[in-house]
Amino acid sequence: MSTKEQQERTELLQGTLDLLILRTLLLGPAHGHAIAKTIEFRSDDVLQVEQGSLYPALHRLIKRGWISVQEGTSENNRRAKFYRLTAQGRRQLDIETSKWGKLAGAIARILMPAEQEGKP
Amino acid sequence: MSLWDRLFRRRKLMMDDLDQDIRDFIERETQDNIGRGMPPDKARYAALRRFGNVARVKEETWEVWSFVWLEQLWQDVRYGLRQLRRNPGFTAVGVLTLALVIGANTAIFSLFYTVMLQKLPVAHPEQLVEFLYKDPGQPRSDGYRRWDEYENIRDHNHVFSALTGMTFDNLARVRIEGSDPETLILENVLGNYFEVLGLKPAIGRLTTSEDVPASGDAGVVVVSWDYWNRWFHRDPAVLGKRIYVNGNPESIVGVAPPAYTGPRVGNRTDVWEPYQRDAVRMLARLEPGVTRGQAEAEMNVLYQSWVDQNNPGHKNTRLRQRKVEVEPAGAGLARVRDLYGKSLVLLMAVVGFLLLLGCFNMASMLLARSAGRQREMAVRVAVGASRGRLVTQMLTESVLLSGAGTLVGVMLAYFGTGVLVRIMASTQAHQHVEIQVKPDLNLLLFTAGIAVVTGLLFGVAPAWYAFRSAPGPMMRRTGAAGDTWFWRWFGRSLVAAQVALSIFLVTGTAVFLSHLVRMRNFDLGFRSDHVLQVTIDPSGSGYKREQLAVPYQQLLARLETIPGVRSVSISGCTPIQGCGSGARHLIAEGHVEAPEQRQFPAISFVSPGYFETLGIPLMAGRDFSLRDVGQQRVAIISAAVARHFFPGQNPIGRHITVVYDPEPYPFGDDRPYEIIALAGDVKPFELHDPPYPIVYFNMFQENHIFDQFELRTSTDPEAMAGTARRVIGDFLKTVPVTRVKTLSEQVDSDIVPERLVAALSEFFGALGAALAGIGLYGLLAYSVARRTKEIGVRMALGATTSDISRLVLGDAAGMLCAGFVVGACLVFWGRPLAASLVLDLKPVSAGPLALAGIAIAAVALVASYVPARRATRVDPMVALRCE
Repeated sequence: MSTKEQQERTELLQGTLDLLILRTLLLGPAHGHAIAKTIEFRSDDVLQVEQGSLYPALHRLIKRGWISVQEGTSENNRRAKFYRLTAQGRRQLDIETSKWGKLAGAIARILMPAEQEGKP
Repeated sequence: MSLWDRLFRRRKLMMDDLDQDIRDFIERETQDNIGRGMPPDKARYAALRRFGNVARVKEETWEVWSFVWLEQLWQDVRYGLRQLRRNPGFTAVGVLTLALVIGANTAIFSLFYTVMLQKLPVAHPEQLVEFLYKDPGQPRSDGYRRWDEYENIRDHNHVFSALTGMTFDNLARVRIEGSDPETLILENVLGNYFEVLGLKPAIGRLTTSEDVPASGDAGVVVVSWDYWNRWFHRDPAVLGKRIYVNGNPESIVGVAPPAYTGPRVGNRTDVWEPYQRDAVRMLARLEPGVTRGQAEAEMNVLYQSWVDQNNPGHKNTRLRQRKVEVEPAGAGLARVRDLYGKSLVLLMAVVGFLLLLGCFNMASMLLARSAGRQREMAVRVAVGASRGRLVTQMLTESVLLSGAGTLVGVMLAYFGTGVLVRIMASTQAHQHVEIQVKPDLNLLLFTAGIAVVTGLLFGVAPAWYAFRSAPGPMMRRTGAAGDTWFWRWFGRSLVAAQVALSIFLVTGTAVFLSHLVRMRNFDLGFRSDHVLQVTIDPSGSGYKREQLAVPYQQLLARLETIPGVRSVSISGCTPIQGCGSGARHLIAEGHVEAPEQRQFPAISFVSPGYFETLGIPLMAGRDFSLRDVGQQRVAIISAAVARHFFPGQNPIGRHITVVYDPEPYPFGDDRPYEIIALAGDVKPFELHDPPYPIVYFNMFQENHIFDQFELRTSTDPEAMAGTARRVIGDFLKTVPVTRVKTLSEQVDSDIVPERLVAALSEFFGALGAALAGIGLYGLLAYSVARRTKEIGVRMALGATTSDISRLVLGDAAGMLCAGFVVGACLVFWGRPLAASLVLDLKPVSAGPLALAGIAIAAVALVASYVPARRATRVDPMVALRCE
């Protein structure tokens, strides 16, 4: 991995990994590797999941009861752990998403005031 | 399945699952990499690299589950224990240091707690108050009050919800049928006593107002749980049994609750007997919402009105100037607190400093050690330990150390407290104090608190050090460069602080010891050496007191013939006991004075020979003699009385009259006494106080006979005790000897607080010096070890052994001097503190400080000798070759 590549990718903000995991699992149960890959893929490789922090995050979510875990068989017929969104997790995702929307909007207003000023 | 099992099983299951999951993850990543065209082995490495530290991810994932801290603590504890086991010498010194320091704190605090803080086991102890009476310029007194004053307060106050009272007989002779009498403490209590205190009997019933007859003896008693246990083995059939109290038969109606031993700290009541209409010491309950200040104001008004009623038109200024103090009595009556309070506060301060010193000591030793553990720390950081974990680890180790120290310390404290209690118990019989220190939740909390706080306190510096020095380039370092400037100076200042504190403690020791020596050698106006005092009790012997003169005179003659006895006498009181100044004054012929200027002398009834026996000089005139009986009444006055009435004149041949007020006294009549001699002054122990004014009367002339015999011996007075007992026993067969004691013992028993402080500060001073020595040794030994290479270079470049030892000793001398300067400042600062707590402490001269300096310097020399020698033995070749 070259230095240039690293610069183009952005580290995740603290706490956003949880949100991204929840969002990813909304599409259906997935195993750890698939979650990481999905996040990277869906962000066009801009967001880099630090793999070391994936498992602590998953367990944090399990402990809060937002996702659950079960044994399953993967696409190439191997046993794997599948993480699944719970009803509580779904509700939490809504809350977190709206929170994130507010936050992102607020930051955007501060960072790009010119655009706002230009409006009538 | 136990909690631990569950915990570990669950952990294992989870870890296995996680393992599998992570393996799966890496496998997939590898496949992806192969898919991108990497060769399989490179693909795997890339996957692993990208994933990072597997063990750490597992740890962090595990930490998500909350009980992980417990497990980490357990890990830290096990690791800490292993560390302690690996350095048995260090551990032993550390544990011993902490044991002594924490033990001292626990012991002193147990005493402090028991004497000053522990509440009586009665209902709402916080409401209880007692009354103390204070004359201007005198210490406050216990306040035995007349019955009519009690009635006055009981009937007219608005501040107390209840009022009761009692008197104490510390020397009651109590026996049960068929056994010898023993001397116990009897408490005469008013009828409402138990009800006011809210006590419930262990068995039977407690006495009430109905038990108190209008006159005479109630005939019933309540005994203590301890007495019941001792004599009746807790047999319920004790109820209705008869015991004899001072010869009177009484039947037991109940047993007091086990925890209750009377309202006084240090005096255990065994028998309670109801009474009324007699002198009384009051105990009151404050009405809810009433403050002590309000109660005190009302009490003073009540007291003044009572004085007015009883002395209409009388202008006794002494009674009018008296103030009533309302003292909280929830922790017991104030006397023992007054007696020992200041000493105990002082000792608490001393052990507090000792604790601080111990903490500095441990901190400097741990710091030296943790500097040697830098590489270990660096390794731990490299394999993924956070700084937080390092700090917790260091703190866990120090708390473990202090925990072990506390365990040993509590055992030491247990024995130590016993010794202290024995010193405190060696007071005079009439004010005997017996403290019982019992384990108690508050005490345990205090000790545990001290253990943890100490551990954290001395662990903070090493932990901070571990925190600061953790990740850095330590791995690469070879240990030659040494520590940073800051830590080197921090270590040195820790040692200097120890030197300062020990200087402070040792100076204190010197001051208190010299104070004690001064007290012992203080010229009290009599000679306490070689005097044996024998007290006999003729009350149950059949002799009437008026008839005792002749047998006592014969007994005196008998005792005088004992070989080794130089003179004998009888007296009502000795200078040590004090004879008490009553409400009486003297009128001397030719002397006029206003009532405010009156002197209130003590009156002492003595036999001929008293002055010779006690070694009180007669400065002019003659001693009493048996021939005075039936002649002109005679008196001997002390120099203080002479100075008051006959300044610059010869008092011999002049006349004085005693006026008793406010009420007539049995011996009071207005016939004058002729002064036949002038006796030397006898002084109380308070060095600044003026000598007692005393008037002596001839007890045989007055026929007012007392039972205290004094024998001046030419040999060891204690060896004479047996002979004296035998002679008295042979001569007065029915009169028991109740007490035999030397006068010097009594002098000692009068300065118990001073002895306590001196003995303890001796110990604490020595301990402080030893700790400072250990600290100095530790730091020097460590720095020599660290500087081995430097020393090797110096020697290779031609430094001689004396240069090298100067290097080490110079280091030591620097710390010593800095410590001495700070210590001297501490001493200067602590002077008012000590002076406020110890009466008559001589202003601190340079003497004790210099003494302390020399003592600590000597200890320091010993402590630095070994490291200095080790430094000179460094072989340059070896030192340079290593690493």
